[in-house]
Amino acid sequence: MTIRATFLGTLCRPSFVVAIAAVAVFVGPTSAHKAPHTPEQLRQYEDVLMEEVRKGDLLFHGDAATAKQMNVVLSTTGMACAMCHPMASDTHPQSYPKFQVETSKFATLRDMINWCIEKPNQGEKIEIDSEAMKALEAYITWSNSGSVLVPGKH
Amino acid sequence: MSDELDRIRREMHAVLQQPGVRPDDSLQITRRTFIHRSLLFGAASVGQTFAWWPLLNTIDVAHAAEAPFKFAWISDTHLYQKSLNTRFVDKVVRAVQEVQAMDPPADFLIFGGDLAQLGKIEELELGVDLLKDLTIKKYYIPGEHDWYLDMGKKWGELFGQPNWTFDHKGVRFIGLDTVSRGPDYWTVKKMTPEERMGHMATLDGTVAGAWAGVGRDQLDWMQKILADWDKSKPIVIFSHNPLYEYYPPWNFWVRDWREVNDVLKPYTKVTNIHGHVHQVLYNEIGSMRSIGMLATSWPWPYAPEGVPKLTKPMIRADPGDTYDGVGWETVTVPADDKVDVEYIMWGRKEVLVQSDPDSSLSQPEKLRPRIADNMWPY
Repeated sequence: MTIRATFLGTLCRPSFVVAIAAVAVFVGPTSAHKAPHTPEQLRQYEDVLMEEVRKGDLLFHGDAATAKQMNVVLSTTGMACAMCHPMASDTHPQSYPKFQVETSKFATLRDMINWCIEKPNQGEKIEIDSEAMKALEAYITWSNSGSVLVPGKH
Repeated sequence: MSDELDRIRREMHAVLQQPGVRPDDSLQITRRTFIHRSLLFGAASVGQTFAWWPLLNTIDVAHAAEAPFKFAWISDTHLYQKSLNTRFVDKVVRAVQEVQAMDPPADFLIFGGDLAQLGKIEELELGVDLLKDLTIKKYYIPGEHDWYLDMGKKWGELFGQPNWTFDHKGVRFIGLDTVSRGPDYWTVKKMTPEERMGHMATLDGTVAGAWAGVGRDQLDWMQKILADWDKSKPIVIFSHNPLYEYYPPWNFWVRDWREVNDVLKPYTKVTNIHGHVHQVLYNEIGSMRSIGMLATSWPWPYAPEGVPKLTKPMIRADPGDTYDGVGWETVTVPADDKVDVEYIMWGRKEVLVQSDPDSSLSQPEKLRPRIADNMWPY
């Protein structure tokens, strides 16, 4: 009881609170000395995105070399995603997650990508967090930049 | 891109939709649905009978035919070799059987282009083989998928001259080639024929550019063959691409629509029937009305902008059913001055959107063109 009372009493002292704050400012977390973003860094971030978009674009358009390189079989029918979804139209990434009629489940965009691969394209489903999946997601969402988010929209 | 599209569209509106200019006033559009007798064919052999009993939607367009008649339209079959994909083959077989079963029979068939997917000899020959079961007279116009592997060589051997004209029961019919005059994007980049075809076969590709056009030579030819035709008599023009500007990034247009309009302006009963878009479309441009036809292969979504205001959109297709959103058409020209275009969409009671959730246009989208096909090494 005594200890607790003393502790609370200590916290209540304004000078002690100020002292703790001062220490936090001077010592801080180890990465506290952050520099502002440089244009070079921003370019690098953009490059990382656009490389994924590029790979996704090629996969989406049925590029055999890219599919082979990434070790995926997205279609066995000659059909590619872009044949039904030119410019990734009608993919509606902005509407996910949602109840997906085709699977009767609550689904993410990645779930639907796999449905399209397996059903219309008769290809082999890919790992949900695989490089190919990330690239396809990057291309589809990048293509729809500017569309308004409406999760759940059928 | 969008600003450019807006600018062109304002121009098209100013040029074509001047006060008082529209197709002949007697041409009233009505839409009705009914069961088509020809679809009774084969019903007994298929379990899912609903799929054989579609209700058809019609667009009525008046004409002045001397005697009633009917013709059929099939297009955009996009055939692959059988070893790769029989899905599209099956649908051509079905369309051919149904056209053949029409009673009374169609006077002729128009094949509206894109018989093949990659322009291969085997694909084109497969198409000929499948269509040979259809015994009525057949007329063909080319699509870009038929052309750019060998620049129309095989297509020409099989079907002859890509543009043609004939008169039938008081209607002048014209078939146009809107695909063969694309700008040369392949020579400088030293593309193989397969690479050239690959870019052409990608609807949203950025390399082949504005390939759809009628061309000055063909416009002159059209003017010549229409010179002796009465201005108030009906003309039906078949083309692979629409003869107006809907969405240039996918070549849902011809780049010389202004010149096409100049040639057709004096004629008051012009109907353009086109493929390429794989969707229900209706538009009026100046004194011409334009009707888009379904593919048998797969449906395209409506473009993110530019869908004609006069179009009643077709229903959003079920991606799990390869028979949905696709089909063929009959065009009836009865004696009472009408042309009925009937969309025969397999497996659908309602072809046209009845409420918002059934429309792909209910989710507005902003799209950007692809990039990877314009990066080295192409």
